Amino acid sequence: MLEAYKKKYHTNSFQYILVDDSGCVLETDHTILSIQEKNLLQKCHPFFEILNGLLQIENESFEFSCINLDFEDDIIIADVTIHSQSKNKNLIIIEDLTKHYNNYQLTAQTRNESIINSQILVLKNEYLLEKETFKNNFIANFSHQLRNPITASVIFSDLLISSDLNSEQKNYLEIIQSANKDLKNRIEDILDISKIESGKLILIEKVFDLKKLLNDLVIGYKFLASKKGLELNFEIDKNLPAFITGDQYRLKQIIENLINNAISFTEKGSINLNISLNYIRAKKVNLHIVVSDTGCGIEPENMDSIFERFSKTESETINNKGSGLGLAIVKYLISEMQGNIKVESEINKGSKFICNLSFKISDYNQSLKEELLNKQLPNFEKKHHVLLVEDSELIQLTILKILAATGNFYLNIISSGEALIPNIINKNVDLVLLSNSIEGFSTMDLAASVRNLSKDYKKTPIIVLSTEAFKEDIKRFKKAGANDVVTKPFDEKILLDKIYKYIK
Amino acid sequence: MAKSKKIVLIGHFGVGKTSLIRRFVQNTFSEDYKVTIGVHISKKTIEIPEGESISLIIWDLEGQDDIKKTRPSYLLGTNGFIYVFDLSRPITFENLANELDFLKENYSNIPLKVVGNKMDLVNKEYLTQYSSIFEPFVDFYVSAKTGSRVETLFSKLAKALT
Repeated sequence: MLEAYKKKYHTNSFQYILVDDSGCVLETDHTILSIQEKNLLQKCHPFFEILNGLLQIENESFEFSCINLDFEDDIIIADVTIHSQSKNKNLIIIEDLTKHYNNYQLTAQTRNESIINSQILVLKNEYLLEKETFKNNFIANFSHQLRNPITASVIFSDLLISSDLNSEQKNYLEIIQSANKDLKNRIEDILDISKIESGKLILIEKVFDLKKLLNDLVIGYKFLASKKGLELNFEIDKNLPAFITGDQYRLKQIIENLINNAISFTEKGSINLNISLNYIRAKKVNLHIVVSDTGCGIEPENMDSIFERFSKTESETINNKGSGLGLAIVKYLISEMQGNIKVESEINKGSKFICNLSFKISDYNQSLKEELLNKQLPNFEKKHHVLLVEDSELIQLTILKILAATGNFYLNIISSGEALIPNIINKNVDLVLLSNSIEGFSTMDLAASVRNLSKDYKKTPIIVLSTEAFKEDIKRFKKAGANDVVTKPFDEKILLDKIYKYIK
Repeated sequence: MAKSKKIVLIGHFGVGKTSLIRRFVQNTFSEDYKVTIGVHISKKTIEIPEGESISLIIWDLEGQDDIKKTRPSYLLGTNGFIYVFDLSRPITFENLANELDFLKENYSNIPLKVVGNKMDLVNKEYLTQYSSIFEPFVDFYVSAKTGSRVETLFSKLAKALT
């Protein structure tokens, strides 16, 4: 019985062939291949051409696994063993394993396809990442190039408005100022988006006076709204803590973007800003911020996409309002601050943006508040020497006007980095304003060269005037020896605050 | 009677070894990828200059990510090697120098052609980006899909075998 099974299941998958040293078939069964005796085995399939060499070696065995013996109407996948023996009698054993190898083929197919697809996916991702990096770098560089002219335009408009102008000229100038502000905001938006996409936007946690921030913000917007014939109502919860810890610049940016948005899309009626206390828990305060308007509202089909970057509703596109980035930035900032935002809207009735944000409550007391509020620009007994290293004539003139107006400074201007050290040594410099874009000079090298001077000069404060606005750029400047960085475009107050901070 | 010479194609899986052989032997191409397991053997007789002809017994080995894993019996009696990599997948040529060292150390007298396949899928910028890796070793840039330089590859190798 067992022999019968063996014969059925074993011998049926084996073929034994005897060949001479030339490969001529001497004897064979026909279990797998149909080969005639006295024929050359090499003619049966090109695999057997291997015999030409192997049969010359006596008394050796060669095993070949998974040989695809393909014929016109069939493929047999077999293991082949060649026993080269003496006396012109060589044995070839073919074991048909087609079924077994076909199963393996299916597994290998799935595995290889999956590996290749994942490799292709990695390559595609790398390619997209490279494109994205190129785009972000381009946007950042382009924005930096615009900073010098915008700085000059902002500051000269500010200086001009306080000169003797007639009412028509003042009107024109106010339009220029408004356009400057708009342009500055749009560039900041583009830069913020590029920072967000490259993961370089970092929140800065500092203690700040919440009510002062909100009051200052509302004063500016009341004016802006009234110019459009709109009313800006502002309600702040008396129970809000005075000082909180968080990124005040980004909180301001969130509220500003929401109010700007409301003013842009409201032709008549009012804008309402309401800030209330949600709860205080574990030394954290949760603010409930609502900005509502009586504007045109948002179409239901656009409700999901308004927070996407470069997303504009039909009315936005028609009226060319905004860069399409403001709400995307708001959404990102709120998410980074672990908050949430939602919008409710009704066509022709208005929209309501509701967000909740948590901040740490600060231990700062009332006396510090008063100190902050009473901080005023100093009035020096003697004039101080400021050295400006800047090759942009626009910025040179801008800073000259700002410093001259205070009456507190002598300004010495140089356009080249070479003259920096001789000036510091020979001219009793109290502070250096160092541009980061002087052709042919590295700001880091220049700052470091000052820090390498003898002890009389090495502590001269250095403020870098930078077109680079990324946090890591600012870190690099400080690491090289700069005390502080003012990012272009800056205004008069920002620059003077920094200068007064370092001049004793 | 034409002399027979055994040529072995090796390289990672999915680099197009089977497609190159199909293009050379049958002058056809299929976009479908079918994994080779074990070895497929084809034969083509070609004329070489000087009026001779040569039968190429072409062994198409299953792809390996490490050449050292190749079954030694498959390489017995080899007269010529074609090492194939996929120009569009860096992983198939990142270790090219080591792979070729193995062949040179163990089969030093056997002619070898190094081939970058799928030329149709890459552009000049891409080639420039990666060329420092394969440029020192590559003999032919080919495309099994378009047929570009496939015939030349095999006939140059055949000539080197005579």
